[in-house]
Amino acid sequence: MITGKGITKTFRQRGGMLGGREVKALRGVDFTIEKGGAVSFIGESGCGKTTLGRILAGLESYDSGEIVIDGVPMSSLRQKSRQPHFRRIQLIHQDPYSALNPARTIHQALDAPLSLRAKQTGRSRAWMEERAEELLSLVGLDPGYVLPRYPHQLSGGMRQRVVIARALTVDPDMLVADEATSMIDVSLRLGILALLKDLRDRLGVSVLFITHDVATARYIGLDGELYVIYRGQVVERGPVETVIADPVHPYTQSLLSAIPVLHGLEVPGEERVVPTEAVDPSQQDAACLFAARCPFRTERCVSELPVLGHDGGTLQEHACFHPQRRSVVATPAVQL
Amino acid sequence: MSVTSDKRAPGVRISDLSVVYRTPAGELPAVRGIDLELVPGTITGVVGESGSGKSTLALSLLNAVQPPGRISAGSVEIDGLGDVVALGGDDLRRARGRHVGYVFQAAQSSLNPLKTVGKQLLDLGRSHDVEDLPGLVKEARSLLDRMGMDGARVLDSHQHELSGGMRQRVGIMLALVLNAHLVVLDEPTTALDMITQATILRIIREVHEERGLTTLVITHDLGVVAEVADRLAVMYGGRVVEQGPTREVLGDPRHPYTRGLLQAIPRLVGDIDEARALPGRPPTLGTIPADGCVFRERCAVRMDVCETGEPPVLTQGPRIVACHAADMGPEAVTEPAKERQTVTAGVGDTPTTGEEQA
Amino acid sequence: MTATTIMPEARTASATLRRNFWRGVWRVMKRKPSRMVGVVIMAGFAFMGIFGPMLYPERLPRDTSALYAAPSWAHPFGTDFEGTDVLALVVTGSRYVLLTGLVTAVITVVLGAGIGLFAGFRRGRWDSVLMRITDMKLTIPGLPLLLVLSTIWKFTSAIEMGLVLGLLGWGGVARAVRAQTLSLRERGFVEAARGLGLSTTHIIGKELLPSMAPYIAMNMLIAVTGAVYAQVGLFFLGVLPFEANNWGVMLNLAVFGGGALTTTAALPYLLAPLLAILLLTLGIVLVVDAMDEIFNPRLREE
Repeated sequence: MITGKGITKTFRQRGGMLGGREVKALRGVDFTIEKGGAVSFIGESGCGKTTLGRILAGLESYDSGEIVIDGVPMSSLRQKSRQPHFRRIQLIHQDPYSALNPARTIHQALDAPLSLRAKQTGRSRAWMEERAEELLSLVGLDPGYVLPRYPHQLSGGMRQRVVIARALTVDPDMLVADEATSMIDVSLRLGILALLKDLRDRLGVSVLFITHDVATARYIGLDGELYVIYRGQVVERGPVETVIADPVHPYTQSLLSAIPVLHGLEVPGEERVVPTEAVDPSQQDAACLFAARCPFRTERCVSELPVLGHDGGTLQEHACFHPQRRSVVATPAVQL
Repeated sequence: MSVTSDKRAPGVRISDLSVVYRTPAGELPAVRGIDLELVPGTITGVVGESGSGKSTLALSLLNAVQPPGRISAGSVEIDGLGDVVALGGDDLRRARGRHVGYVFQAAQSSLNPLKTVGKQLLDLGRSHDVEDLPGLVKEARSLLDRMGMDGARVLDSHQHELSGGMRQRVGIMLALVLNAHLVVLDEPTTALDMITQATILRIIREVHEERGLTTLVITHDLGVVAEVADRLAVMYGGRVVEQGPTREVLGDPRHPYTRGLLQAIPRLVGDIDEARALPGRPPTLGTIPADGCVFRERCAVRMDVCETGEPPVLTQGPRIVACHAADMGPEAVTEPAKERQTVTAGVGDTPTTGEEQA
Repeated sequence: MTATTIMPEARTASATLRRNFWRGVWRVMKRKPSRMVGVVIMAGFAFMGIFGPMLYPERLPRDTSALYAAPSWAHPFGTDFEGTDVLALVVTGSRYVLLTGLVTAVITVVLGAGIGLFAGFRRGRWDSVLMRITDMKLTIPGLPLLLVLSTIWKFTSAIEMGLVLGLLGWGGVARAVRAQTLSLRERGFVEAARGLGLSTTHIIGKELLPSMAPYIAMNMLIAVTGAVYAQVGLFFLGVLPFEANNWGVMLNLAVFGGGALTTTAALPYLLAPLLAILLLTLGIVLVVDAMDEIFNPRLREE
């Protein structure tokens, strides 16, 4: 199990010592991911979801808060000794084209982490070869075909499978999939999603799914939780189906309303919410972060910062003073 | 179809268009035998995966296919401009921008980072010999204002001062500012957030209606087409496999590829196990089958005839499907692939040259 | 199955890879005839540098009856002021010139790429310090420094010469390699390697270096020409004592001793080393053209 409590991260943008602008990427985020579970973070770009994924994969530092990996609080460890723990969380990049070194074959790409693993566990070369083939078969590739090839000889979908296989070389507890299908052909996306789902079942790997596509998040973990992040704050959190069917935060409702409707196949939700456009994020912090764009804001929203809770007796947690269920999601008009 | 009083919205008739690319393995077709009509005043959406030839098709509209590619056959007739395939040199350059506005695939990054938007606008005006530059700026400003931005401020901004959605709008402005009435948008919302995407799509729709345009949207995302397009053409392996009114095609897809694509999209409601992946992968330039149906290797209803026989083009009212297995009902018109003609009613016969495959 | 039985298999895999690489190189070279010409020229110079001097006696024979002789079958490029065969001078002089070029190129690339990679990968303080040093080094004017150095150092051996030129030349490469490293380290595959816990040595040596190989190889070849120009220039100017047999010395003697610029007699004596330099440069330029394709598997395989 992996938990986070009050994770904050502030980026200082360039401008040197004098005029650096601060961007709060994460404002105290709490989360829990069970073994074999699925948690999805959705939100717009720049909302902090990618930063959180990178922090968990050990690629980025965090300013404050506590991350507990399998019962070990990271704050109790020195920087160096945290690395092996963070290594149990592997990041699957959005871009399968840059995630593999173009100058190295798939065999070489898998060999490096496997030899590290073999050294740690005292295994032989034979084990490495076997393991490479096993992992490629696991992600649905033909090892004989893939191993001697260079990345450019494989399709985007195959490359992403190789990337997943490479992440599995270190026997991770969790995969962080950051928009892992957004650069893959539409007809191949579902295959990658199904693979991630399958890995949850077969290996007990938990999946942290980072996306702006709510439907894919639903596909990965119908049993999981959905976190909606806006400007570094979790504004709504709950079981996937609840948040999609009965969203209460206007931001969640805006996100869901913005999903294109397949007219002819679907009927748009009746209460779609259209937010005003993103505004300059330099407003003061003593207000709801979404207030400036919210069509339902009141006096209270601009003078006080709401916190995550079950106010109004909702099933999910939310950070809104005026939670109101709205049906915004399109419903099917015909069955295929 | 939206009815606009503006008679300037041009119609476009693409007939038997083929584009080949020269490769070490010989000339390979990226687009083959495409017939497509853009009805004046409508938005047509072209959907396809990588390698489907959709971007090549968009470039053909401007006769802008770059070597090693070339248009090997067919014609692209644009009202008021004639056959652009026959156009060249300065005529062609002037037509781009004045008649055909193009919003590039990476509009978000296609602005010059060193110049303000206003400077780039003036460059555009000068290269098209616009006499009234202040008028051009005024027009640009009102377009930007129309799209919900502060026009004056945007013109004074550099690329890095604008967000992705704002850059996309600047791209649309630059495509429209010379008063083009045919607009091609290549992946207009890729890399944009959901909410921004919804806004841009709404703007495309509104500007289209207000200015009386004929619009072509190229995308890989069925959702985008569903939101904006009146008509939809589905491309696969360089062919248009199905076309028709968007709602009808989405509600009742006839081609196995269209059906498979729709099924492969996870949905927000209902049983998630209904979503099924399409087997195999999209063909690349080198792996597109030369004979028979281009989709057969991934097709669930493939038959023996698909291996060798060019799929017949079936027409029923506004809907056209190219498939051996499609059942279009008794009143469907079947046209054998060999003697394919322009299929949309009301389109004059255009002489086609060569390249009819056996 | 034991490890020992599989080991050879793994070794064969990497051997296959190496064989495929060289086959790819051959394919790339064959693509343009100009590249093959370049390779032949470079091989010719290498042969000349290694074996050429062995074909002649320690002290070249002089034919005092034929000073500044015109080109003939016996003396294709004529003779010099002492009646020594010019071709023999070019061949025996090549070893010093080429060895210097090689040493310079190796030092330039090893130092430049090493410092650039390290600074770019580590960033922060290391980067600042190393780049300041590089900047300082870049501001040192090479020629005046060489003039000063030559007053106390004779550069009798090519390796010393190459060492000095190499130490003077790595700055540009270091800067460029650092810039490339900075951009590459943000790439997905480098991040993935970090996330997998692979060592810094692995990341620099196996992930970053191969991506920069075409660039580094190009620089190395170009450094050879740079070094040849520099030392020939020094000898030509007469800055260095004529201890060694050298193309630059030949040029100096032809111009200042033989008056090659005013009379035609010493012209072949002047042209022969010039021609050698020109040919060498041409060979290198023709081969540089192939570097991109050699190190990019996509371009190599197609």
